[in-house]
Amino acid sequence: MDVLTPRSLEQALRLKAERPDAVPIQGGTDVMVELNFDRARPAALLNLNEVAELRGWSRQNGRVWLGSGLTYAEAMERPLAEALPALAEAARTVGGPQIRNRGTIGGNLGTASPAGDALPPLLVCGAEVKIASVRGERIVPLPDFVVGPKRNVLAEDELILGVSVGGTESRQTFMKVGPRNAMVIAVVSLAVRVDGDLRAAFGSAGPVPTLVRAGLGDVDSFPQRVAEAASPIDDVRGTASYRRHALRILTRRALDRCLV
Amino acid sequence: MARLIRTEKEVEGRYEEVWIVVDEDALDRWPAGPLTTVGQRVPRVDGLARARGQALFTADLQLPGMLHTAVLRSPYARARVISIDLEPARSAFGVRAVIGPADLDQLTDEPGYVGHAVAAVAADTFGQAQAAAERIVVEWDVLEPLLDADEAVRQESFVSDVANYERGDFERGLGGADVVVEAEYRTQVVVHNSLETHQAVCHWEDDGITIYISTQYIWGIRASMADHLGLPPDKVRVICHAMGGGFGAKNSPGDYTPIAAELAKRTARPVRCALTRREENVAAGNRNATIQRLTAAATTDGTLVALGGDFVNAVGYSGWSATTEGPMKMLYACDNVRTTQYPAKLNLPPMAAFRAPGFVEGTFGLECLLDELAVKLGIDPLELRRMNYADSDRTDDRPFSSKNLAECYRRAEPHWAKRDEVRARSRGPWKHGIGLASQIWYGGGGPPSYAWIRVGSDGRAQVVTAMQDIGTGTRTAMAQIAAEELGIPLDHVQVSLGDSARGPFASISAGSSTVPSMGPAVRSAAADAKRQIIEIAAQRFHLEERVLDLRDGQIVSTDGGSWPLTEVTGLLESGQILGQGARGPNPAGMQVLTFGVQVAEVAVDVETGEVRVDKIVAIHDVGRVINALGAESQVEGGIIQGIGHTLSEERIDDPATGSILSRTLDAYRMPTIADVPEIVSELVDIPDEHLTNLGSKGLGEPPIIPVAAAIANAIRDATGAEIRSLPITREEMLRALREAEAREKERRGAAAAV
Repeated sequence: MDVLTPRSLEQALRLKAERPDAVPIQGGTDVMVELNFDRARPAALLNLNEVAELRGWSRQNGRVWLGSGLTYAEAMERPLAEALPALAEAARTVGGPQIRNRGTIGGNLGTASPAGDALPPLLVCGAEVKIASVRGERIVPLPDFVVGPKRNVLAEDELILGVSVGGTESRQTFMKVGPRNAMVIAVVSLAVRVDGDLRAAFGSAGPVPTLVRAGLGDVDSFPQRVAEAASPIDDVRGTASYRRHALRILTRRALDRCLV
Repeated sequence: MARLIRTEKEVEGRYEEVWIVVDEDALDRWPAGPLTTVGQRVPRVDGLARARGQALFTADLQLPGMLHTAVLRSPYARARVISIDLEPARSAFGVRAVIGPADLDQLTDEPGYVGHAVAAVAADTFGQAQAAAERIVVEWDVLEPLLDADEAVRQESFVSDVANYERGDFERGLGGADVVVEAEYRTQVVVHNSLETHQAVCHWEDDGITIYISTQYIWGIRASMADHLGLPPDKVRVICHAMGGGFGAKNSPGDYTPIAAELAKRTARPVRCALTRREENVAAGNRNATIQRLTAAATTDGTLVALGGDFVNAVGYSGWSATTEGPMKMLYACDNVRTTQYPAKLNLPPMAAFRAPGFVEGTFGLECLLDELAVKLGIDPLELRRMNYADSDRTDDRPFSSKNLAECYRRAEPHWAKRDEVRARSRGPWKHGIGLASQIWYGGGGPPSYAWIRVGSDGRAQVVTAMQDIGTGTRTAMAQIAAEELGIPLDHVQVSLGDSARGPFASISAGSSTVPSMGPAVRSAAADAKRQIIEIAAQRFHLEERVLDLRDGQIVSTDGGSWPLTEVTGLLESGQILGQGARGPNPAGMQVLTFGVQVAEVAVDVETGEVRVDKIVAIHDVGRVINALGAESQVEGGIIQGIGHTLSEERIDDPATGSILSRTLDAYRMPTIADVPEIVSELVDIPDEHLTNLGSKGLGEPPIIPVAAAIANAIRDATGAEIRSLPITREEMLRALREAEAREKERRGAAAAV
């Protein structure tokens, strides 16, 4: 297996164009699990850790830009945590400290798991994913980016540059139900934002993280609508009926928190 | 004098009649309470080595030329091998040997559970072995598995005889009752998941074999592997210096040791066979599931007049059937008790002992039912337990060697009295409550067990015995006992253990028996050495032996004389004083048991079903405490493991195929530090005056026993919901809440109708 380590974004895009079979790796918290369990044997890894352009975050025209290399640990730090509190809360529930030091927002988008912890907070904040290749750049709204369980719209020569999110400083929160108190993949997760309208996005309760919107007048019926929007399954972590039930309860509690 | 006795030997609640040669145990008893070293809070003598990664575990061992093994395990719960082709594996890169069902008894062509070993490959690296094992071609005839325990009982598919027990007359007792409660309880399969997976390294050298193994019983491995290999036992050397947990699952050689031995023989190389984490979750033993259909009956004054139960143990394909009915028979003074235990044989992975096997499960059922009875009687649950206190072992009317459960209850009072305060913490959906449960278990240990001790001219001592420290702090406890008896500082004692070729026979580390079995032997060896030192000192200083003693590294005389110990031992130069000691017999005609009570504080989110354990107070009576700090860590470990059993851990099987779905530590959920409550540990440190020269019992198992019932009873106190099944997942919690609500509605309806 080849490990390709570009030093700049330009090099990275060129390598990805030359070796479309190379799997991008940043923190490795998903990719290495696949390799260790022998579920994937890619011909090459594209190591993005040395690409400075993908790191960090910044404010841009009232929105926040998150580089795809932004780690969960960085998302938990102020002032970013104050700008995007739901994302910070979600980041705190990811794995243990070592995982949070390594795992990245870009990796969460690339894996596109239904249980991706960063995805619900990004969804309620209107995230737009910026994608690049040697052919150019394009911007895809997050709901259109994830197209199925662990599937996204990336072409084989494309890389995720980062996401642009709005809704900063709005009332927002994140909740996660796990079978124990730490180091868990969500049984169900939920982000809610109240800012002109009601927005909820849930994870682990359908094939893809899903956004539900309603007017401010629909507070009472909103928890039920969110639960109905889910299409959960039974698995080793929990039952479909519990997931629906929990979504209803969590949505109500999240609304209470945001509407104080 | 050596004495031959016929006695009952007990391990994990299983008895057998054996001949044992015992030495008299004539030492004076130490006074109760903390002494100079014994009873103090002592950090582990090997703590630093463990923290630095210097302690040598079997998993650390790298022998020159060592090969690695991958085991092909059955993907089917019940099947027959029609044909098996090992050649593709033999020709794979790095492979040195491949064995199949024709080559070894431990490899089967008729697997009876998913994970049953079928073939094994030894290669230069584990990866090569694994890749080669995947190339083995098997043609299967897949058969219908038996997976349902109740169905197994109907078909009379058992691993051993159905066990019936009755004392008094259960039916008559029931007839005279004012209040009767009945309930069905279920407990799940949980997996030990020791940090160090099951493994052995086998190396044929000289004219025998050396087995490095992660084990709880060096001498048991030596005996069974000698038998298996047809070797004289002393040609089998067994070594285990440090061990990453066993919890009952590492008492025997398993399949991995015979596999490694066979592959080592064929390749003339050392061979490691280590289970992977996934194999650990499938084929390393488990605490089997149980179904318990229980009845408890009392008169209005709270007297238990009948206890009865049908206990189904879903043992698995093989193994033994633990005494799930034990607590019902032993914990209370009830005249009429009837139990039946069905040892169901199923096409599921075999059970292995797991920290108080049977009693953890049985205590959950019994102690929950007793609280349901208390509610119906309108009697305080603690009071109900006191009213039915057993002063002797009611299964055979033997007296207890000691029992301080009443003292445990007394010490629980201040915690139990906080009930109103705890309930008043309830806010919104979070309901708070408090519950308790009692504990009864074995833990007396027994003979035979031996220790040697040598004291050098520098006045330092080395304890030599071929026991194992399974991670519980045995090295430290044994060093404390030797230091106390010899009157020397703890850091002047070293403990050499873990090697059958270097030291005498030592007991199994299971059934909470290490300290009560080995401790007295170590003290007796130290006393033998001390006697010799005093004999020499008497001659050196022209004094009578009876006026001399050893204290604080000094030889002291009753008239105030004092000489450094080295003034006598130094005379020896390279010579040594050798002491030897043996474990004396258990008290004849007495039942030796451990007791305790735990009080749990919980909070329940009645909307989401989340259960949070806020605090557990554990009060146990295990006789004299050797290391107060080590004991506390055993209590904490037991409670944390118990919380996993109660709230989150469950092996998940496919009910149609018997395949194991939870094979990783993501799917199989052990508690993390974020799930651990405040733990308050109190030990009733009263030596058992009939038991050995120490008066110590074991503490490894007792703390896990009452955890589930205490938590479930606290949940009832908080919410009125009756938990009937473990683990208490959010789904189970919501089910119990709905049921409680329906019951309440029915009660109100009935009241309104009147």
